[in-house]
Amino acid sequence: MAKEMTLSGCAAAAQAVKMAKVDVICSYPIRPYTAAMMELAKLVNNGELDAEFIHGEGEHAQLAVVYGASAAGARVFTGSAGVGVTYAFENYSPISGGRLPVQMMIADRALDPPGDFGSEHTDVMSARDQGWIMGWAETPQEVFDNHLINYRIGEDKRVMLPQFVCQDGYFVSHIPGKVKLPDQAQVDEFLPPYDPGDHVLDPKKPFSHGPQIRPDQGTIMDLQRAQAFLDLPPVIEEVIDSYNRIMGRKYSPWVEEFMTEDAEIAFFIMGAHTATARHAVRHLRQKGVKAGLVKLRFVRPWPSQQVAEALSKFKAVGVIETSTSYGGSMRGGNLLAEVRASLYDLPKRPLTTAFMAGLGGDVIPLQEFYWMARKLEDAARAGRVEKPVYWAGLEH
Amino acid sequence: MSVPVKTQNLPPIKKLRNIPKEEQYVPGHRTCAGCGPALQYKLVAKAAGPNTILLGPTGCMYVANASYLCTPYQVPWIHTQITNGGAVASGIEAAYQVRIRKGTWKGELPNIIVMAGDGGAVDIGLQAMSALMYRGHDVLFVCYDNESYANTGIQTSPTTPYGGNTTFTPPGKAVPEGKKLFPKDVPQLVIGGHPAVKYVATASVAYPLDLMNKVRKALNQKGPTFLHIHAPCPKGWKFDESKTVEIARLAVQTGMWSIYEWVNGEFKYQYRPKEFKPVREYLKTQKRFAHLQEEHIAKMQAFVDARVKTPGVPVNVPLPGPREA
Amino acid sequence: MFDIPKERAVPFGCVTKAPVGEQPMMITGNWREYRPVIDHEKCNLCMNCIVFCPDACWQLDDAEEEVVWNAKYCKGCLVCVNECTTEALTKAYELDFPDGVVRLEKPF
Repeated sequence: MAKEMTLSGCAAAAQAVKMAKVDVICSYPIRPYTAAMMELAKLVNNGELDAEFIHGEGEHAQLAVVYGASAAGARVFTGSAGVGVTYAFENYSPISGGRLPVQMMIADRALDPPGDFGSEHTDVMSARDQGWIMGWAETPQEVFDNHLINYRIGEDKRVMLPQFVCQDGYFVSHIPGKVKLPDQAQVDEFLPPYDPGDHVLDPKKPFSHGPQIRPDQGTIMDLQRAQAFLDLPPVIEEVIDSYNRIMGRKYSPWVEEFMTEDAEIAFFIMGAHTATARHAVRHLRQKGVKAGLVKLRFVRPWPSQQVAEALSKFKAVGVIETSTSYGGSMRGGNLLAEVRASLYDLPKRPLTTAFMAGLGGDVIPLQEFYWMARKLEDAARAGRVEKPVYWAGLEH
Repeated sequence: MSVPVKTQNLPPIKKLRNIPKEEQYVPGHRTCAGCGPALQYKLVAKAAGPNTILLGPTGCMYVANASYLCTPYQVPWIHTQITNGGAVASGIEAAYQVRIRKGTWKGELPNIIVMAGDGGAVDIGLQAMSALMYRGHDVLFVCYDNESYANTGIQTSPTTPYGGNTTFTPPGKAVPEGKKLFPKDVPQLVIGGHPAVKYVATASVAYPLDLMNKVRKALNQKGPTFLHIHAPCPKGWKFDESKTVEIARLAVQTGMWSIYEWVNGEFKYQYRPKEFKPVREYLKTQKRFAHLQEEHIAKMQAFVDARVKTPGVPVNVPLPGPREA
Repeated sequence: MFDIPKERAVPFGCVTKAPVGEQPMMITGNWREYRPVIDHEKCNLCMNCIVFCPDACWQLDDAEEEVVWNAKYCKGCLVCVNECTTEALTKAYELDFPDGVVRLEKPF
């Protein structure tokens, strides 16, 4: 029977992995994602989930174990956070290049320094160019749904790509929320068992996986992965449509809009802080400010067209940067560069600026959103932005 | 619930005439002429037979074999990073275990063999190898030891012998012996702290029947097993490529390499000569030792004398720090 | 759409078919400076050349009466000559043979 439970983001991820009937799990402890593995360890040891639960000797090994297991035809799950995500870095490209639909949960954590536990997206945003599907959840419910949706997308024969299924550490991973769990039958209908087809290590049909190539084949090999991402959007739309139908959800695949009708200024945001931003937008509306919000669901593939369509109607857009790119073209974060690139070909572009906020595990208080809104209103009125990036709360 | 996943019993090969004719590591690879690691690869794959999956951590046996999208592996093979042969093997083994249990894989557990160089086994790959041994996966881990990072241009590894001239240990005025450190005791690293391991052996390309039968013993044994195989490198050790087997044999005859088996806590020597030849005879065959002076050779002889007396027991060595003059 | 030249095409997901018996995409016979020559009269089938060849270039014939050399892949390392127990194998300069390898047809 479908039921509703109160679950943290970590617990929601574990429930999704259980219902996906994953074959091989590889763990290594690091806060805050660990709670998902603790839950899965219980489920496996209680006999509720029939899977091999391997204690990896580090994050590098975690990714290596699931690389091998996926190549041998298993549905696999692993996860990490912060420096664990960067320690495993070497493995990301061989997994996507080998077209292995590995799933990795991320509960973001700030890198060192500052050496704290809080969320910041820099950990896995550093790996955004490694050929993995990547997107963030705002709530435990979205975490649960994204894990199932990503298995089906990644394992689709037209796709065969690994997925980072991301949630903010603590803000989502450790704060419980209501999660509607479907029946196992619904999940089985949505997500058939993983069928690797011929793409599997099999002594009866031997192949060599991952030999070196000639330099003149390199561009072509990279084109393969690029093409996979070009072909990905219709599959994602199809899968999310199917999920909505079977589970009775209303996800829009790429961006989600909140109070954007007649809005003149808008926040562009992903992940946990979206929840605070929604409150801010509601309060701003009560005060007569025409504010709205656009939430991004996938960073890879980046939905250029949908971002452009969603943002073109505003006068000024504030991009909330929850990751860093020191010395980059936008002088702060990563998202503004992508947003501006998406808007570039429009005949009429909104003004855009970025706000560095909520880094190193910091919260973004309502007051900071109000301050950002004022900056956006000023820009809209003046018809220009003062500069591409503000450090929210630290500037006047 | 436990189901029998592996019932194979590869029989011992009694004489050279009985070795399987079929190659699993076929002609057509870019290894150097006279390559010791290629020779051991051929022997290991032949002994294991067709129901096998090979893993290739980065190293000579990846780069020189798996070139330009063509490889000599007749059985399934997968590249791993140099760091993580043990971890990838663990994942493959676990996947087969669970798929056999769930009925999505029909057939027995294949032989899973990691073919790691000394770097991929006991230097950068040590952590993954140790974890594989600790967790008890049904995998054979082979360390083919050519005593250097040969693929990158002969840099020192933890198994390069004392006094070895490599591109990272060039002998010079300040450091006349080149390499000052004594090598890691590879089998001891495995035996010394992994209770799940029941079979560890050393072998040499000069004793192919012994080598192949150890591969079979290891594969018949349930759980993790380890083989340390001496595989001379003509390019790195600087000797004529026709001498690969001769030098491997001389290593055993001088005690520079010991051939033994460790089964359930018991050591057993094979091919122990009645009288060991002096190590000088081995050293003089290779230009990597050409710079050694009498005192260095004496130091090496003392080390070998102590080691052959007590196989598998760590030998006390002088311990210079890497920067100590 | 993209137009990928056939000779540069790469298989899906870095996977390439396993060879059977030999890997004809990496012919190494043209590396040789010397080749091993067998005198079958002297050969006692001790198997050393077969077992010690790193490139598996010596095999027993079907009748198991003679050893057969694989000229296509033999790199000329001469380990076999060195390990021959009966002096049946000797080395000979490659260019002295009418079919001797004189140059690389193509780099690889």
